[in-house]
Amino acid sequence: MSQYEVLNKEKHRQLRIKTGYGAALGDAVMSAMTFPLEFRDIQSCYPILFTKDPNTGGFFPAAIMGFEKDQNLFLQDDGWDAPYIPALAQRQPFLIATGGEGDDRPPVVSLDLDHPRVSQDEGESLFDNEGEPSEFLKQKIALLDKLHGGLQHSVGFVDTLLQHELLEQITLDIAFNDGSKQTLQGFYSIAEEQLYQLKGDVLESLNQAGYLQPIFMAVASLSRMRGLIERRNRLRV
Amino acid sequence: MEDRISKIVIVGGGSAGWLTAGVIAAEHRIDPQAKQPFELVLIESPDVPTIGVGEGTWPSMRSTLQRIGLSETEFLRECDASFKQGTWFRDWQTGDGDTYSHPFTVPIDYADINLAPHWLALNGAPPFADAVTPQTALFADCLAPKQITTPEFAFVVNYAYHLDAGRFADLLRRHCTEKLGVEHVKANVLQVNAAENGDIRSVSTDRSGEIAGDLFIDCTGSKSLLLGEHFGIPFQSQQEYLFNDSALATQVPYAEEDQAIQSCTHSTAQTAGWIWDIGLPTRRGIGHTYSSAHISDDEATAQLLAYIKEIAGDAAAADVTPRKIRFQPGHRREFWHRNCVAIGMSSGFIEPLEASALVMIELAAGMIADQMPPTREIMDIVAQQYNRKFRRHWNQIIEFLKLHYVLSERDDSPYWQDNHATASIPDKLSEQLLLWRYRSPWHQDAEAVDELFPTASYQYILHGMGFRSAPRHTRSHQQDQLQHRASELFRQNAARASQLQQALPGNRELLNKVREFGFQKL
Repeated sequence: MSQYEVLNKEKHRQLRIKTGYGAALGDAVMSAMTFPLEFRDIQSCYPILFTKDPNTGGFFPAAIMGFEKDQNLFLQDDGWDAPYIPALAQRQPFLIATGGEGDDRPPVVSLDLDHPRVSQDEGESLFDNEGEPSEFLKQKIALLDKLHGGLQHSVGFVDTLLQHELLEQITLDIAFNDGSKQTLQGFYSIAEEQLYQLKGDVLESLNQAGYLQPIFMAVASLSRMRGLIERRNRLRV
Repeated sequence: MEDRISKIVIVGGGSAGWLTAGVIAAEHRIDPQAKQPFELVLIESPDVPTIGVGEGTWPSMRSTLQRIGLSETEFLRECDASFKQGTWFRDWQTGDGDTYSHPFTVPIDYADINLAPHWLALNGAPPFADAVTPQTALFADCLAPKQITTPEFAFVVNYAYHLDAGRFADLLRRHCTEKLGVEHVKANVLQVNAAENGDIRSVSTDRSGEIAGDLFIDCTGSKSLLLGEHFGIPFQSQQEYLFNDSALATQVPYAEEDQAIQSCTHSTAQTAGWIWDIGLPTRRGIGHTYSSAHISDDEATAQLLAYIKEIAGDAAAADVTPRKIRFQPGHRREFWHRNCVAIGMSSGFIEPLEASALVMIELAAGMIADQMPPTREIMDIVAQQYNRKFRRHWNQIIEFLKLHYVLSERDDSPYWQDNHATASIPDKLSEQLLLWRYRSPWHQDAEAVDELFPTASYQYILHGMGFRSAPRHTRSHQQDQLQHRASELFRQNAARASQLQQALPGNRELLNKVREFGFQKL
């Protein structure tokens, strides 16, 4: 289970964070939430599909890394085999927390004390000897800021997709070389036919909001599915 | 063409009037600019208040709402609605605390295999519904039929709704007038004016003058102003079969704000009727329907209060002032006469067991919308079809409801004894019961594709109440395979039941989420 605490200079001074990537560090996940401002990097490596938050039913875009729960086909013995790693995976074990709607307090940085990256003696320090944030922590905070802004922008993006009925359910039946089959359910993609029907004024408003480019990037990202299947086929089971 | 049907006048609001208006208006677009405009006017009395009765529906309501173009999220929020997965009966069989369930999900693999004879071979354990559907396991835990990630109107297990009928009519009124182009006239109808050919030409109102139309829909409730009063179509009482003619309705608040909401209607048999208990998000709708010939209103009230004490405590019972309702069980001899069709209580009413009132309105409105006669000449043919179909529906309601009483072994009051008298059982039902002694109902028992109650419902009632069909005296070639398949299905069903019990949220938990986040459309 996760146990989040607001980052505190006194309390967490001695903590260290293990870097690198691996299943033992909590990276064996089949997908990672992403956001339109990150799509350019994501689509260069991963298919982007939309899925629902089990708690709210709300849609969000996700980078797909595997075909079943806890399967990340990019993880290898020596790390994460991709030129770009989703920000949501990079930020572990940190989280940026806000007070929710109507709460104007600035977002605060929290960390998950139960995360396998959190250590007493191994990895990067959070604070230097003077108690000032380390370079490592500063980088993570900058990443969290980017993530926070990106996720907020994503809410309007998803609402707009739904408003123009630009999402459609997609069920992928995949047969692997070893004869096994997998059905990928609960995912949605850009409804291309609907997209190509859009009229000029709608396209203009999508473009102005910064949504048009990520829509086409999400469409293009689906060709990464082939690479993902190849990774699965190379697995020695 | 002279006799083109282009203006529909609905007299009366309520859920009957507005549901009918919604279904017709959604099917026949109202566009004042059209070359051949189609108009729909609903005349509603400003003086008759709507009454917020908690009501149950059938799963058909999901497609009706979709057809009208309402969002499920808006419907659930506005109508104080909750999810209903069937009915749970108590004390119907012996009166000693016996229970059984009638869920909305048909038995597993129902299209291909009749599990009833295989279940009968198990000699009673587990109960029939538990053996053939995972749904009854969900009743027991007050679980929802879906998750927040399930799109609107889609389901994990089949469901309908419990709703506040007054608020439902309000929502439909707004939707019909704001989105579907229905014209709303607030006035009292003073007089019905005949045309030369005997049709209704118009109605005269107190504040909107005379309103003419081509087809009049009578949704005036038990008054039956047009079909009954104007045309004099006689009412046919069915009290010889179904005795209940009275009801006491009330509301009981939840003891705790987060108390579980039942996901099925509870029906508890009494000495001269039965008590309904319907869980809405903000309160429970509870009432007693009974036969005034068998019990006094005071005794009926005492039984209702005893029930409320049992389920909600003494304090809840002390606050209750039930509203008394009298009704005549039965229906009009015909429902569509000349250019007038009656829908809702103006066409008939039978006690609320198995929640047939709203589904009959949906069927009526649906048939009128689908078969809207283009001309007056065609109308008589459609009317004949309509009358045949709805006579069949009413007969089925009477037979199916009566089945619940006939199967009871209760003998503790004249009401139950009278219910077993041969004269009180419709002939067709007696015949069917004899047939079912030798085989369980299945697809062959459905007489039409649009039967109100599916054959699976008969299985649930019959085998839920301990009715046994004798095993066939011959064996099929495939007997062993079938038996093997049935055992496998029973096993699968049990596994799916425990899986769903883990996966599905509580009824209240999901309704809270719908309030906060809403369902997605896909």
